[in-house]
Amino acid sequence: MSENNFDRGSALSIFGSDRKEDFMALAIALVIAFAVYFAY
Amino acid sequence: MVYTKKNPALFIIGVIMLAIWFMADAGMLSGYIEHLGGKKYKYTKELLSIPLYFGVVAAVMGLWQWFGSHKEGNFDYYTSTLAGAMFILLIAMLVRWFIAPEVAVVSKMMGKVGDTGKYLHKILGLNYVVMGILTGIIIVNFFKVPEWAKNGVRVSRLGLKTGVILLGTLYSAAELKNLGGLSIFMIGFFVLGSVGMTLWLGARRGIPNSMGGVLSAGMGVCGVSATVASAPVVQAKSVEIAYTIGTILLWGVGCMFVFPMVGQMLDMSYLKFGAWAGTGILNSAQVAGAALAYQPDGIETLKVAEIFNITRVLVLPIIVMWLAVWYVKREQTGTKVSVGQVIVEKFPMFVIGFLLLFALSTTGMFAPANHYKGKYFNNTTDFKSKNLLSDSKKAALQAEMGKIQRADRKAAVERLIANGKIMSIEDDDQIRGLVNAKIMSKDNNKILKKAHKAVRHASAKIKAFRNWITWLFAFGLVGLGMQITVASMKQAGGQPAVIGGIVGFTKAVLSLIVVMLVVKDTI
Repeated sequence: MSENNFDRGSALSIFGSDRKEDFMALAIALVIAFAVYFAY
Repeated sequence: MVYTKKNPALFIIGVIMLAIWFMADAGMLSGYIEHLGGKKYKYTKELLSIPLYFGVVAAVMGLWQWFGSHKEGNFDYYTSTLAGAMFILLIAMLVRWFIAPEVAVVSKMMGKVGDTGKYLHKILGLNYVVMGILTGIIIVNFFKVPEWAKNGVRVSRLGLKTGVILLGTLYSAAELKNLGGLSIFMIGFFVLGSVGMTLWLGARRGIPNSMGGVLSAGMGVCGVSATVASAPVVQAKSVEIAYTIGTILLWGVGCMFVFPMVGQMLDMSYLKFGAWAGTGILNSAQVAGAALAYQPDGIETLKVAEIFNITRVLVLPIIVMWLAVWYVKREQTGTKVSVGQVIVEKFPMFVIGFLLLFALSTTGMFAPANHYKGKYFNNTTDFKSKNLLSDSKKAALQAEMGKIQRADRKAAVERLIANGKIMSIEDDDQIRGLVNAKIMSKDNNKILKKAHKAVRHASAKIKAFRNWITWLFAFGLVGLGMQITVASMKQAGGQPAVIGGIVGFTKAVLSLIVVMLVVKDTI
């Protein structure tokens, strides 16, 4: 396995692409939104 | 390559968090909390929960990172960000709970600034968000980000994006119908005009598209939220975001002092001044400051300015969409792309998330559409009986009725005494005006403020969302500060401030002309 195989992302993000980061943010936000919706 | 560093940093961060929780829980911080505001200190609840939960996670994971064996792979890659992320979170905690309140204490000791009725830290916007960025900048430039934290700094943008998506829950298209046609027309015209002008000037002066994009949202809409929401859309660099926030705040400080002076010189009515301040000044606190400086003894100007301010914030989703399409089209050189293609291939998914939550919020899923107006005026079943005025408080108000000269205010207080609570939004406005006018004694003003809070408060869901957004932004902006070096600031130069100044001045003058020509003098 090469040394840089997991050296992904950029100086601003750990994700390989903006789309991946967006989807991750969307998933986290939806989890929070529904948690708030049911908890309060 | 194995990313996890075998060192005690994460464990030590966990121990520090747990120590904060322990000291707060054992009452060892009560003296300091008294100094920071006592009963007015808002973070006691947070101190008793957040550092405990995150402290346990950081300590346990820290021990594992320190002594465990780590293998190359996805798990190693993503968990290696924990140390840096917890480092940022710890700084955000210290800034929010201790440093920002300490700055507020010092600012309050210095007294209010002129007629604005506001303290210096409010005017300068020195809240934990701005101070978080500043702390990040200080760390990276004076101490350097530690090697073990570098991977974690790269998750700060994820925090910002998540916060922006959740921001959608605070807006509702249903709010629009409560706003006047004039405010929609004026704000629509000036927000879109400012965004367009900033983008045009930015292109002419050769600043990068990312800088122009983020500055246009800041100058057009308002403050930190708009800047943060648009930054990932136009792939703005950390330094560009910091410049935009700095430009907005400095411009607003100037406006806060100049606007009331111009208003006095032109003898503007409350309605005209409120409309002008709400359109021309960018930051919400500064709009309120200017309105109160113009009319310290009443609520009329503030109320008008608030309506304009809310309208402007509601335009944010449209601006984010516009910038997303604008940026992708600008960055696509050579080939002609259609808007549909742009949306499918390049449109930022988190904007879709923001719009999705905005749409859900519009359905009333998270809060009733009129929750900002207060749903408790005519609703006696939801109103908590403990919030009703006691007989002694009613008697205290009754004893000072003679001090109130205006009949409308007098009638509102009489209704409050008779019912034990404020009965309508109109009465609430009168009572807020009475508090501002400082006619009653200090104790009675406290009673009136409490009565106001009892009927006008945000729903529990909205409060929870605000808390989440606050923490995500604080986390993201401290990390963002850690990416801003002096060299990058020099590279960006002074162009943003120049463009911001031109756009802000043009908007202030043009909106003044429109207000003087179009707005009638009566409320």
